[in-house]
Amino acid sequence: MSRHDAVVVGTGLAGLTAAVRLAESGARVLVLAKGVGATHLSGGTIDVLGYASPLASGGLAPAPGGRSLADRVERPADALAELQPPHPYALVGADAVAAAVAWFKERIADGSLAPYAYAGGIEENMLLPSALGVPRPTAVVPQTMAAGDLRDGAPICVVGLRPLKDFHGALLADNLARAGTEARAVELDLVPERRADPNSLGFARAFDDEAFRAEVTAQVAARLGAEERVAFPAVLGIARPNEVWSELQQRLGRPVFEVPTLPPSVPGMRVFAVLREALRRAGGRVILNSVVGGAEREGGRVTAVRARAGLREERHEADWFVLATGGFASGGLELESSWTAREPALGLPVTGVPGPGEERFRPGYLDDHPIGRAGVAVDRELRPVDAAGERVAENVLVAGATLAGAEPWREKSGDGISLATGHRAAELVLAASMNVSSSRRMSGPAG
Amino acid sequence: MPQLRAEVLVIGGGATGAGVAWDAALRGFDVVLVERGDLAEGTSGRFHGLLHSGGRYVVKDPVAADECVVENAILRHVISDCIEDTGGLFVTTPDDDPAYGDRFLEGCRKAKLPAEEIDVAEALRREPRLNPGIRRAFTVPDASIDAWKTVWSFARGAAAHGARILNYHRVTDLHVDDGAVTGVRVRNEHTGEDLDIEAGFVLNASGAWAAQILHMAGIEDVGVIPGKGIMIAMNHRLVDTVINRCTMPADGDILVPIRTVSVIGTTDIRSADPDEIPVTQDEVDQMLDDGERLVPGFRHARALRVWAGVRPLFQDAKAGAVKDTRDVSRTHAVVDHRQRDGVDGLLTMSGGKLTTLRLMAQDLVDAMCSQLGDDRPCRTREERPPGNEDGEPYRLGSRLRKREETLQEEQLICECELIGRRRLEETMRRRGTESLDDIRRSLRLGMGPCQGGFCIYRATGILHSVDRLDAAEADDSLRDFLQERWKGVWPILYGDQLRQARLDDWIFQGLLDVEHLPA
Repeated sequence: MSRHDAVVVGTGLAGLTAAVRLAESGARVLVLAKGVGATHLSGGTIDVLGYASPLASGGLAPAPGGRSLADRVERPADALAELQPPHPYALVGADAVAAAVAWFKERIADGSLAPYAYAGGIEENMLLPSALGVPRPTAVVPQTMAAGDLRDGAPICVVGLRPLKDFHGALLADNLARAGTEARAVELDLVPERRADPNSLGFARAFDDEAFRAEVTAQVAARLGAEERVAFPAVLGIARPNEVWSELQQRLGRPVFEVPTLPPSVPGMRVFAVLREALRRAGGRVILNSVVGGAEREGGRVTAVRARAGLREERHEADWFVLATGGFASGGLELESSWTAREPALGLPVTGVPGPGEERFRPGYLDDHPIGRAGVAVDRELRPVDAAGERVAENVLVAGATLAGAEPWREKSGDGISLATGHRAAELVLAASMNVSSSRRMSGPAG
Repeated sequence: MPQLRAEVLVIGGGATGAGVAWDAALRGFDVVLVERGDLAEGTSGRFHGLLHSGGRYVVKDPVAADECVVENAILRHVISDCIEDTGGLFVTTPDDDPAYGDRFLEGCRKAKLPAEEIDVAEALRREPRLNPGIRRAFTVPDASIDAWKTVWSFARGAAAHGARILNYHRVTDLHVDDGAVTGVRVRNEHTGEDLDIEAGFVLNASGAWAAQILHMAGIEDVGVIPGKGIMIAMNHRLVDTVINRCTMPADGDILVPIRTVSVIGTTDIRSADPDEIPVTQDEVDQMLDDGERLVPGFRHARALRVWAGVRPLFQDAKAGAVKDTRDVSRTHAVVDHRQRDGVDGLLTMSGGKLTTLRLMAQDLVDAMCSQLGDDRPCRTREERPPGNEDGEPYRLGSRLRKREETLQEEQLICECELIGRRRLEETMRRRGTESLDDIRRSLRLGMGPCQGGFCIYRATGILHSVDRLDAAEADDSLRDFLQERWKGVWPILYGDQLRQARLDDWIFQGLLDVEHLPA
């Protein structure tokens, strides 16, 4: 058994953000997670809102006649102010999103990979190429990616690495050209550590090595055109990414930028590493391979969670619980073959799942699927609510992809929602703790 | 307009058509085969993978049973590499009448089908996941058969004997001159070009689409009844032996272990149009319940993909309306259009099933020879098509064994199906295709648990770089593949496969933003 001020379930961007924010304010925090989180899948950019589809008020269906997912957002701050509940942004408000972004940029810039840092904000979206060469709207990005902004028309040379199967430079370049940016690709046949099949992480480790970088720059430098900026797969170092990127820019004498690859995501791992180290420094604990599967309740409160770690079952008591286990992709939500959905960690009600006999998915892959915005419904203070809108637990807050009301991938909003709601959950806990006179009252913000 | 000539023109590139092309080419005929899509894209590529022992038919359809017994043995000999000798069990579940087992055994004896009753305890020892409530169990020589490999083996064999195989060539007209079919017009589905093929004889092996072809020759009322059946592939081999319910044929009564998955089938629903066979959520639910009866816990296992196939059931209009398509015989018949419709130079194969494809081909080519007064004998009982020369049966794990030999030498593009980059590039070149879906049928690319989540971006990039396919074409191929895949997964998205699908959305929509590729 353990006893903490707060237990956070989940170690993706939402869970880590909540945990770090709480721990740095003096709370005793325990993070329980099944494994490393969604950071390793995400491209490392904080997509706040790329495509908006406001919902009809109070429902989970798109509002007729409004913006549609076809409309690209140029100014996220404005677009997210137009969203209606139950979209998570509408529940926390645009100011909370801005505060979370500012906090995140500061934590990364001051973090264990400094001077690796993020650029941008929620005022306007950049357009960064995806690995397929699609101009993708995103708001807050690693500095190592910022020079890829396609609003700048400078031509691009994409450097592909033949042994890296998760990034295809020629396809990227040709699709960029189709979308109106002059681009071409060169391919290097450099194999790190003589392995036949290295993934992104294997290459990132190779780029941390100066000799490998020298080889790359020697091969690339002679092949560049005068005005070109240079795109690399997002594998430019895992231990010293800023040094790697700066050195490449300097040696090649022009802007260099990273483009996210298929998972595993090196920029995502950097975020995970920085936040986890920040949590460790602030005194927070993390238990991985710990599967939360039940809550003990007393009145309207959860008093403890039960978690299985290997063969052991453990109880963890706390005053506050933040649930950030992700959506269907992460196992934070489950749909049974009988078509009933459940939230397996705490057993919270799930909303937005069509009933028996109703349509769950549509036959077109890119259709608007009725189940697409399912999740746990919450009120403005992120407390889970039932179908009648009544709170089901006073001291549980829900953050990230578990929340109902958004379609993170279609909207390009997943990281922004996780960051904003994770941060907001911590702020709400801190504010509530300040208001109770308890022996376990948390201390104020860390000095 | 370009023209071709052939002695024999075969319409349909499924199992029957490929078998017919192989048979006719082996007899020395000059053969052209036309298929509107890819080979085995229709019924043949959409079945459960069961090479029948005949046990399924011994009580209800003894002629079909006799044919299966003989053909099962021949196919094991000639296309050994396409067949895995899994063996089969007929089991009496708690919902089945144990007395049927006696009729079953009697039927097997009459059909000379080697069936044997074994103790329930022994059956459960061999297949521990089977419903422990089963009351009787019988062994039979069922096996699983890879339909794509089978069709390609015969097509490649025919080509090696001079046949020209034209996939993606759709028949748009049958030329009839003075009461005789003289050839066809086809349209190249890739280029849109028309092509006239003059033919001495036309063999219609288009299965459930036969009536559409005959309509072009003015022949109506041929009783082809498309019978829809749905199948679900489960992510694991829940059983290692083919499991049949020991009862009159019913829905969801067969579970077939094939390669790394197991397939449950099937239903039988009359369908008006062979191209309109959607899968409904209700049908999926019913199939899962049926699976639960054979293997308790079936609903908790991971479903991978669902599809529907359409049987070419045949009943001539004279015989009256058919109520239940399951009551139509599974045997086949050659429709002689000279006799029936006064049209020369045209025969249609009707009915039948994959297990008897060789016999069907032989009967059709024999009938043609008889009309032509030609006595060249059939050679398909002994000849082995390419890929099967050594007579070695397929074994689970053979791909892994080959893969391990080159593990340190090349990229693994599809982790689920163990496809290396060299093999992928070779297949892309050999098939000269721009379609990832064609590659899927040839290599099983994207057929594993992740359903292309990782390999399809990679394969698109490689397709683009190998053939210098331009980006627009590569993008189209990617989009088409994603849509095709979606068609096969959305009705079974629950549990772990929903989780996988959402991860794939994360990759394709979240990371790659595929929905905003330029149109």
